[in-house]
Amino acid sequence: MTQSRREGGVLGGRKMSRRDFLRVGGAGLAGATLLGAAGCGGGGSQASGNVVFAMGVDTSGTLQGLVDKFNKQNKGSFQVTYREMPADSGQYFDQLRTELQAGASEIDVIGGDVIWPPQFAANGWILDVSDRFPESERQQFLPAPIDSLIYDGAIYGVPWFTDAGMLYYRTDLLEKAGFSEPPATWEEMKEMALKTAQDTGTKNGFVFQGSNYEGGTVNGLEYIWTHGGDVLSGDQVIIDSPESVAGLETERSMVAEGVAPEAVSTYKEQETDPAFLGGTSVFARNWPYMYALASDPETSRIKPDQIGVAPLPAGEGGQSFSGLGGWDMMINANSQKQDQAWEFVKFMTGEEGQTQRALAATLLPTRKALYQDPKILNEVPVIRLGKEAIQSTKARPVSPYYSDMSLKMAEQFNLSLKGDVEPAQAVKTLQQELTNILEQAG
Amino acid sequence: MTTATTEKKRRGGVLREEFRNPERRTAYYMVLPALLIILIVAFFPILQSINLSLRQATIIQAGPFVGLENYKEMLENPDFLEGLTNTLIFTVASVALEFFIGLGIALAINRAFRGRGLVRAAVLVPWAFPTVISAVMWRLMFQDQVGIINYVANSTGLVSEPILSDRTLLLIGVILVDVWKTTPFMALLLLAGLQTIPGDVYEAARVDGANVWQRFFRITLPLLKPTILVALLFRTLDAYRVFDLFWALSNRELESLSTFVYEGVRISQLQFAQGNAASVFIFVTAFLIAIFFIKVLGMQTSTEE
Amino acid sequence: MASATATQGGRGAMSSLLFYVFLFFFVLVSMFPLIWIFKMSIITKGELFQSPPTILPANPTGAEYTQILSDPAFQKALLNSAIISGVTTVVCLFFGSIAAYAIARLRFRFKSSVMTLILAISFFPAVAIIAPLFVQYSAFGIIDTYWAAIVSDVVFALPLTVWLLVAFFRELPKDLEEAAKVDGATTIQAFRKVIVPLAAPGVFTTAILTFIFAWNEFLFATTFLFTPATQPVTVVIPNFASQYTVDYGAQAAAAVVVTVPLVILVLIFQRRIVSGLTAGAVKG
Repeated sequence: MTQSRREGGVLGGRKMSRRDFLRVGGAGLAGATLLGAAGCGGGGSQASGNVVFAMGVDTSGTLQGLVDKFNKQNKGSFQVTYREMPADSGQYFDQLRTELQAGASEIDVIGGDVIWPPQFAANGWILDVSDRFPESERQQFLPAPIDSLIYDGAIYGVPWFTDAGMLYYRTDLLEKAGFSEPPATWEEMKEMALKTAQDTGTKNGFVFQGSNYEGGTVNGLEYIWTHGGDVLSGDQVIIDSPESVAGLETERSMVAEGVAPEAVSTYKEQETDPAFLGGTSVFARNWPYMYALASDPETSRIKPDQIGVAPLPAGEGGQSFSGLGGWDMMINANSQKQDQAWEFVKFMTGEEGQTQRALAATLLPTRKALYQDPKILNEVPVIRLGKEAIQSTKARPVSPYYSDMSLKMAEQFNLSLKGDVEPAQAVKTLQQELTNILEQAG
Repeated sequence: MTTATTEKKRRGGVLREEFRNPERRTAYYMVLPALLIILIVAFFPILQSINLSLRQATIIQAGPFVGLENYKEMLENPDFLEGLTNTLIFTVASVALEFFIGLGIALAINRAFRGRGLVRAAVLVPWAFPTVISAVMWRLMFQDQVGIINYVANSTGLVSEPILSDRTLLLIGVILVDVWKTTPFMALLLLAGLQTIPGDVYEAARVDGANVWQRFFRITLPLLKPTILVALLFRTLDAYRVFDLFWALSNRELESLSTFVYEGVRISQLQFAQGNAASVFIFVTAFLIAIFFIKVLGMQTSTEE
Repeated sequence: MASATATQGGRGAMSSLLFYVFLFFFVLVSMFPLIWIFKMSIITKGELFQSPPTILPANPTGAEYTQILSDPAFQKALLNSAIISGVTTVVCLFFGSIAAYAIARLRFRFKSSVMTLILAISFFPAVAIIAPLFVQYSAFGIIDTYWAAIVSDVVFALPLTVWLLVAFFRELPKDLEEAAKVDGATTIQAFRKVIVPLAAPGVFTTAILTFIFAWNEFLFATTFLFTPATQPVTVVIPNFASQYTVDYGAQAAAAVVVTVPLVILVLIFQRRIVSGLTAGAVKG
């Protein structure tokens, strides 16, 4: 009937279009396979048997240079491939965690942020190098970076280079306002900032990183530490203390008293640079890298001779502390090439490797001896100028659960800075949250 | 085949009936590859995530079975609730705006006018823009020192504080950026749907004396309905799972459901199980949203022609 | 669809003017960020960070473009993006259109279950299954090859492809073929002259959307692809940065370089959509 005829007609028409689809599709699939086969060529490092060294983006080019040098020295025995990881430290961490979690990572040597070792060690992902790295060797390195690598009595890597939070200031502006020395306390700094900004017509007194991220945690901790407070004492959370409250209150007062712009609660390092180097701020809290940027006329409107570097101010009756940053060398516990990896680690953290990085990329070495090296002191002024700051570094809480703790601290510090939450309340909340974290961890 | 005979057959009978029919068999073969790809790749990982959400899971081990406890903790977690609220507001606002503006654009472009092709290409630019850079650039534009948007907004007195530091302003900003970015997607879909409507249908209606509005509501909308529903469904689901905009633009200030999952599964040590629970939550609720579209709004999935 | 304004006199001129104003506004809003980002890519670093921001560039320079276009990693990344997106689109269209065709035009049970299943898988947040996927891909040895990204993209792009094509195929009236046959066309002619042109808008639209989705995809690309040999632009561009600094100029230039060809591509394909329409609507 019409029904079946229509069906037949439908089917007839459909058969045609089906064949047409298949024809086009087949061609497409063939083309796709060809292209895809081309793609199989990509991905050499896995098959090559090299030691894979993972590290973030190196804009100075020295990293690849060092790797090439090592490869030349070790020709015939084994080679190292440098695998570039995301520039953003947080993203690098996430990527690493996924690979290590999957247990299928090809990475042998990890150039890792100083807050990672306890987290990785607790999961059994990085190698205990206590035998290869005896106490006598450890003495040659700065103490704070060494501490960042110790978990449960064993050491899990070698310090590579370090970082410390510093107080930058405009020597020329301070001079104009009648100041000759950098401030020793936060109160002094606020006074100096306000007066100098007013006298010289500078937009901001002080800029720092207050955004809700890892850097915000560091900044907040610096305020707490310089007022005599702390987060952990052994396994106890001790952040709830009048000293901590005083610290966060000082941080809040920066915005409340107009010393720092309100938007500082959204600043990361990327925003701090233009504020200070653009000449619109009297003081800034930042890492050593900013000093090198000052020599680049494209990036900076001010010159290095207008900049001074000092340790962070202290709270009343407190001591100056700077947040410890930096990078360590670790070895993947699942690596099949542990001995070779260790050779590479020794090379990169050796005097030569660290000297080269210091000179070419203005990175702070972790070997004590290099701080006496006249060449380094001359060519990397920030090391000379920031010596005190570097020697008073303090590590962030060393715990396998640091990521969780940092998420909470960053949030509360940011809320307190914005004035959404009273510092006393923020501290109490953190006491509770951090205690919960450690309890949950068992 | 009458319904009576259908009901009489047992399940095995139905399946056998299906496969014996050559047309139906072909249909199944045609559908199979797509299904297989999806199942082979995603099935086990999803199962694993569900499994982990029911256990006291940590990153390195599955842990003992704890039933729905992770879900309970998740629902009491203020971060999760904040993410849920933000996500719901974001979804409703952005999809509504994108739909109405997109429909307007599609209708406008559907008419013949000079420079139509260029306008179409220009309107598509936001969608073609790489998301990773988009969020970073937008953040720069909202930033207090060098951001043009913040500058204009503050100079004209629209806002009195840096946009990036106020959560409400941030949420509004994120919605606006998403509307900017995704309206082309809607417009393009609706436009293609509009263009599939044959012109003679309108001719016939005009001959019958129908005016613009009648043509729109009686002809355009009903014929466009399948396209509209697909567009709405997918946009809603995409908005519901928003991640990049919240993460990169607001720099962790704003929590969404997906950022909660990301933090739990990729960053935190302790919220790993909750992160998986939240994934399943997103999965189940997205499913419900889809069912809503299908059943309630009358999306056709199984009607015979 | 003829313009309604053509048949109305004075009022037509007014609504025509409003129409063009409306259009201009929308084009401006769509393009403004791209224009701003273009400006970011041609100014010096110093001016980039000027506060308050300048409207017109002081010393426009093409330095960023020279830098990135001569960067072999970026060139390879563009090629990688094109390959990954292209293959994803082809695979999705092939398997998706077969499935959509069966669902839209053939009869069988379990249709809604199939549609829902295809859709449901994509609901699951990709980030939650990324580690197990990593294990799976490692086992098959496709980590750090295009296939890891392509397969993942296909799985998450198939739902939209299938659903869109089902909707488009369904929109085609069944009677159209019958009418053409009554007019004397053979089945083949009916198919070629009527169905294919009418289905073209849907297929091309789906192709464009799938391509752009794969082009912009970030999570799978960054997790499964490790080296410049395979990484697409979405991974390479954010790395125009270091730990503390972001090279906004380079990223802005890269954004422009990456977006403009896409738009041109779309422009070309959209012509085909238009031609498809006029071919189908003309009375045979």
